[in-house]
Amino acid sequence: MATVQVSEAEKVYILHGIRDDLRVDGRGCEDYRHMEIETDVVSNTDGSAKVSLGHTAVLVGIKAEIGKPRPMAPNEGYLEFFVDCSANATPEFEGRGGEELGKELSNTLYKVFNNKHSVDLKKLCISKGEHCWVLYVDVLLLQCDGNLYDAMSVAIKAALFSTKIPKVHISNDEEGGKEIELSDDPFDCMRLDVENVPCIVTLCKVGHRHVVDATLQEKACSVASLIISVTHKGTVTCVRKMGGGSLDPESIFEMTETGKRVGKALHVPLMKLLQQEESLGTRQKVGFLG
Amino acid sequence: MPVDTRRVRGPEVSQSPLLFACKPAAVFSSHGPRADGRQRDQVDVRPVFVRCGLVSQAKGSAYMEAGDTKLMCCVYGPRETERKDDTDMKCGRLTTDMRFAPFSCPERGSWIQGSQDKDFSLMLHESLQPALCLHKYPRSQIEVNVMVLENSGSVLAHAVTCASLALADAGIEMYDLVLGCAIRQDGASYVVDPTYAEENGNGSDSSDNQGRLTLAFLPSLNQVSGLQSDGEMTEESLSAGVRTCIEGCYKIYPVIQQALAKAVRRAAPPPSES
Amino acid sequence: MSPMKLCVPGDKLCSVEDCTPGTGVYLRHGYIYSSLAGYVLKKNEGEELPVISVVRETETQLLPDVGAIVTCKVTSINPRFAKVHILYVGSTPLKDRFRGTIRKEDVRATEKDKVEMYKCFRPGDIVLAKVISLGDVQSNYLLTTAENELGVVVAHSEAGAQMVPNSWCEMQCPLTHGKEFRKVARVQPEYLHA
Repeated sequence: MATVQVSEAEKVYILHGIRDDLRVDGRGCEDYRHMEIETDVVSNTDGSAKVSLGHTAVLVGIKAEIGKPRPMAPNEGYLEFFVDCSANATPEFEGRGGEELGKELSNTLYKVFNNKHSVDLKKLCISKGEHCWVLYVDVLLLQCDGNLYDAMSVAIKAALFSTKIPKVHISNDEEGGKEIELSDDPFDCMRLDVENVPCIVTLCKVGHRHVVDATLQEKACSVASLIISVTHKGTVTCVRKMGGGSLDPESIFEMTETGKRVGKALHVPLMKLLQQEESLGTRQKVGFLG
Repeated sequence: MPVDTRRVRGPEVSQSPLLFACKPAAVFSSHGPRADGRQRDQVDVRPVFVRCGLVSQAKGSAYMEAGDTKLMCCVYGPRETERKDDTDMKCGRLTTDMRFAPFSCPERGSWIQGSQDKDFSLMLHESLQPALCLHKYPRSQIEVNVMVLENSGSVLAHAVTCASLALADAGIEMYDLVLGCAIRQDGASYVVDPTYAEENGNGSDSSDNQGRLTLAFLPSLNQVSGLQSDGEMTEESLSAGVRTCIEGCYKIYPVIQQALAKAVRRAAPPPSES
Repeated sequence: MSPMKLCVPGDKLCSVEDCTPGTGVYLRHGYIYSSLAGYVLKKNEGEELPVISVVRETETQLLPDVGAIVTCKVTSINPRFAKVHILYVGSTPLKDRFRGTIRKEDVRATEKDKVEMYKCFRPGDIVLAKVISLGDVQSNYLLTTAENELGVVVAHSEAGAQMVPNSWCEMQCPLTHGKEFRKVARVQPEYLHA
């Protein structure tokens, strides 16, 4: 992971600040940095979103393709995650440098979406056991400034919200075979219900407290962090301890509680914002330099 | 390449016939006693069998059995690091590798390490690292290799326990042993140390509050070094699950202590006090 | 005497007021904990607190540390340095291979600028050396032989016989009586086994 070197004096400064609920950039312990979301930014995708959180920037593109359902779940489609840590984000990712982090991030995403309610997979089925929609979720890290998980999950949620899957009809031809027909109307699309898509909240344990949305400097001061993915109802779909340190049980309980509260609070404005953007209709695109 | 056109060629990928077979009705029922007679909603871990020092080539090794879950772990090192960067100068590096034997699961796996195995290796790494005194091993690396021989559920939890035992057997300085425990939440009830069927079964119809949780715990320091969950759980059942897992870890603690003591005693008689 | 107490990593042994920590233990919140699986050993030394340590029969592996005397084998030489494999730390054999470097300026204490590596070491020589640094990212362990007691202890001549030291910088082959240059160590009599 992209890291920064922090001197002992800086560490003490950050630690003492957090002890008094005051972080270097003036936030409280449970505040996020300024977040910007824009959906539908890449025209070649079925759904896309760009999220910037502080100086972290993530671009998510979703492509829907027709595939074969998995034999374990013949009447469900599935999601594939791939996280690309490009050398744009930091030169450390050059060549195969980002591969490990990319694997780690995508493995976590599989865990986060490994439940029945996040995305209605049955809706992605076209014909049982034969055809289904496969959603390829490709995440591109454009800039790294800490808290990749949270930015990534918000971007995925926004991208899933904007995903338009073309409607298809199954018709039987004369020989008894099945044919997939694509609707002629390009606006005849299926939308996904993203109400239950969870958002990830990363909590970094710094000193005796924990902070939300840690910057790289704060992350360097923390020994361990807990990532919690929370749905709008407050259900936890994935918890994971990251980093080389350990946590005492009491602080885990505190952190999950904070994670749930912060996560629930994150969903409301996010959904409102996405709906607002949708209602704007054709708007002027801000793009990447906005 | 010449191809025999008269021969019917099979599909490129094959699936296990087990997937298409009619599954027995009660793979994992959400009420009543468990298939192996253990109690649900209680900290009822499977009895474990552990032994140290079965691989003489390795610096330390351990074998562990819990029900039908069987795994072994070898520790090599400390040896000179191959890959060098700045962080190695002050403290040692821990490398973990967890693999499943192809025949360990109901479906045959591949010898090539999949992304799931890598994820397990990473979790193992994060669970073990807080317990090791890595600052005592500058410029060197310690290798931990876990091989799962038979997967009958809760593999990661047992792998953590087995690996910490092997590390202690290797004489690597550690702050504490690391113990692992897993639970499967199923609606309002839960099962501790689930078997493969319990872990992957669909559970009750309500399908709410279904989740799996694995925890790594340092018993003497009372610290959690690894935590992972998936599925869906309420925050309350998650916290309760963490507590249950901690309790489960304490249950196997004496077994691990005894196995280690036995290994020490077998390695050498007590040194004469001088 | 009571049987020796066994312990596993993480066992609380005693308070820091009762004992001073030795090896195989660590301190936490004023208590001494074991960091190894082994036997608890208490040693009384004079009037001070007894030293508590945890020992294993199978010697816990030592790593070359700054100041340690190591025995190594020369693998290659060039005009600037000699590359060696560290075989022993003190008298403990290492299980794994560790590499080290003896730089030209660390061969002897005097006339450092006149050192010629070919006249000091040859590949295959067994050398006693002292660790001066763990090195940095690029380099290996840095070793020195700049003491009278350090240097070549075993060397073979071109004829293949084990040579006998003549002086601190010369060795002789017992078969051909040919002389070869080495940075010879004056082996301490107490290390000589008959």
